[in-house]
Amino acid sequence: MAFQDARLVQILFLSTFLFLGFWTRDWTLRSQVIGVAIAACLLTQFAVQRYREDQPFTPQSFLSPLITSLGLSLLLRVDHCSTMALAGGAAILSKSVFQVGGKHVFNPANFGIVMALLLTGDAWVSPGQWGEEGWYVVLFLATGGLVVGKVGRWDTTLAFLGMYAGLEAVRNVWLGWTWDVWAHRLMSGSLLMFALFMVTDPRSIPNARTGRIIWAGAIALLTFILRNYFFIPTAVFWALFALAPLTILLDRLFPDDRFIWAQNSQTQDSQLEVSV
Amino acid sequence: MKLIRFALSLLVIVISGCIFATKAWAFCGFYVAKADSKLYNQASQVAIAHSGKKTVLTMANDYQGEVKDFAIVVPVPVVLQKEQVKIAEPKIIERLDAFSAPRLVEYFDEDPCRVDENRAYNGAPMPQAAPAPAASQRGEVSLGVTVEAKFNVGEYDILILSAKESSGLETWLRQNGYKLPQGANQLLKPYIRQKLKFFVAKVNLEKFDQSGIEKLRPLQIAYESPRFMLPIRLGMINAKQAQDLLIYILSPKGQADVTNYRRVKVPSGEEVPVFVKNEFSDFYTSTFANSYDREGRNVAFLEYAWDMSNCDPCSAEPLNQDELKQAGVFWLNGSEASTRSMPPIFGRPMPEADAGVFITRLHVRYTRDKFPEDLMFQETSNRDSFQGRYVLRHAFTGETTCQEGRRYTRSLPRRYEKEAQTLARLTGWNINDIRKKLPQVQKLSWWQQVFLSLVD
Repeated sequence: MAFQDARLVQILFLSTFLFLGFWTRDWTLRSQVIGVAIAACLLTQFAVQRYREDQPFTPQSFLSPLITSLGLSLLLRVDHCSTMALAGGAAILSKSVFQVGGKHVFNPANFGIVMALLLTGDAWVSPGQWGEEGWYVVLFLATGGLVVGKVGRWDTTLAFLGMYAGLEAVRNVWLGWTWDVWAHRLMSGSLLMFALFMVTDPRSIPNARTGRIIWAGAIALLTFILRNYFFIPTAVFWALFALAPLTILLDRLFPDDRFIWAQNSQTQDSQLEVSV
Repeated sequence: MKLIRFALSLLVIVISGCIFATKAWAFCGFYVAKADSKLYNQASQVAIAHSGKKTVLTMANDYQGEVKDFAIVVPVPVVLQKEQVKIAEPKIIERLDAFSAPRLVEYFDEDPCRVDENRAYNGAPMPQAAPAPAASQRGEVSLGVTVEAKFNVGEYDILILSAKESSGLETWLRQNGYKLPQGANQLLKPYIRQKLKFFVAKVNLEKFDQSGIEKLRPLQIAYESPRFMLPIRLGMINAKQAQDLLIYILSPKGQADVTNYRRVKVPSGEEVPVFVKNEFSDFYTSTFANSYDREGRNVAFLEYAWDMSNCDPCSAEPLNQDELKQAGVFWLNGSEASTRSMPPIFGRPMPEADAGVFITRLHVRYTRDKFPEDLMFQETSNRDSFQGRYVLRHAFTGETTCQEGRRYTRSLPRRYEKEAQTLARLTGWNINDIRKKLPQVQKLSWWQQVFLSLVD
């Protein structure tokens, strides 16, 4: 079946969002930066696989770097192409460099974003770029649901959004704000995008459901603190980056089977292990 | 089953796509009248010079009432001392406004018969900036209230208050002669709980009379805080209708971005009929209102983003170093100075003194229902230039004798029509009214039209 591999669906939808954003949302997005993101991710993947020489190339090898590059293009804004190249390269390299028991520690796109923010002073993220219209909320939920449903990680999204919404609700009541403030804070396209497409990456999140729920809840808590008490607009990315290593601990505490893409054959599994 | 799920998701996406396809200025605090004057603040302008955690905020407003009745309450992140508050030159906000205002540019077509080789009317003569539209006409302890600081600056008496409870603060203000708008209590509470302080300013009439000034001057405050925001919620309490706020953000890095609302560029670069020159204010007001409605009334508009060392075309002289400092820019002589100055690629370069200031002009028209939260900003390294710019192209009106000239004349009605349609789309004006104002073109006889089309 054409969409046996959830990554294909994800690529389809991430590109749709990119086109939608590009044409309808007035973003400061340049096509050459998208090109650089894609090239940097694919080339780094190629170089890493050549260097390691332990896995043959297949078309699937390029699915994950493509997703990473689309994610970077959607979320990260840069003034110079070189910054995007750095983000793409760092994202893909992080998968090989930071590995514990064959599982990567960081979400690649998130790692790339954080590196660009940390190292260059040339990058930024526009949390308000989607606005808060209802149409794309439907769009995100539908596609996110589809992708997340296929890889069985709905619990992470729910735990993250539930925890975050709960904390914001408590703060809202305490501050005496009306509920439209709460809704406005949650109806942020960037937050939903993060909850549906980044925090759910099955290859870098805890294997067991209990672990995932604790993990996603912790990320929501840290996001809440960073956003409201340290006034960091990019709080979600820092929270995920800081808490990603917690996965190792949670996997020890709550062991479960590791996730692998496309489950049709043993050979394909082994190929995909390194490709992601 | 999976296929069905996929198809359903796809359907939802298509439907949401279809839905989408069809589809006086204000102040950051509120005025608290000391008498029963009806005060509506429709217009305000704020300049924010920001770098790292340091902010210099200049607040100008179009207060229309009696000076003795003027008072404002603005939430601020920290306690301010006297040396952190000063009076800004009233001119400085006008200068920022004039420099960054949406502008008209004019081009004059040359005689198509004289410059055959470059198809005259596609040439790009030096643009001239037409005049910018006029600037937007624009018992304490028991109540839990502590007066953190009390001082006088220029014609203002200033109090910095911190409070434990909103009802206490409300009572305190009322007891001290401030008339609060209805509902102030509920709006003050979230700020108190976020540990914000209150900057309360009212006019000292004696000082005001002595100074001989006619209008209240802008207040400027400097503070250090990680919060990069502008409280607009309090401002809504005075206003019955949408309020406009112009924000000039000055940064050494690049554009400023709104993090909790979408930021949209105003339409720009369109060619409009030349009669717009005489009604540019109306044109821009309608264009803005039209974009505001089309975007759902909940976005912040970007009207200008430019390195302040140059402009192209300039609607006003760039600000010199003294003026930038008056506007609150504090990094020019310090270590942060001109770290990111851009080589003057566009327009005329100005002396190096102005390097290192990037201006972002945001225009927010807000109402309570569409802007529930205060505005939050972030500085970015985005150095893209943008300006609200509209183009007038004056047709060549002399006699044309060559064939190219006749073709040019014949192309004019189509061009005028296109400009009229652009104008109607931008402003929402009636296309027939616009057409009546278009220049009259010398009509070709039917045989001239036939022969010319054969030549084409």
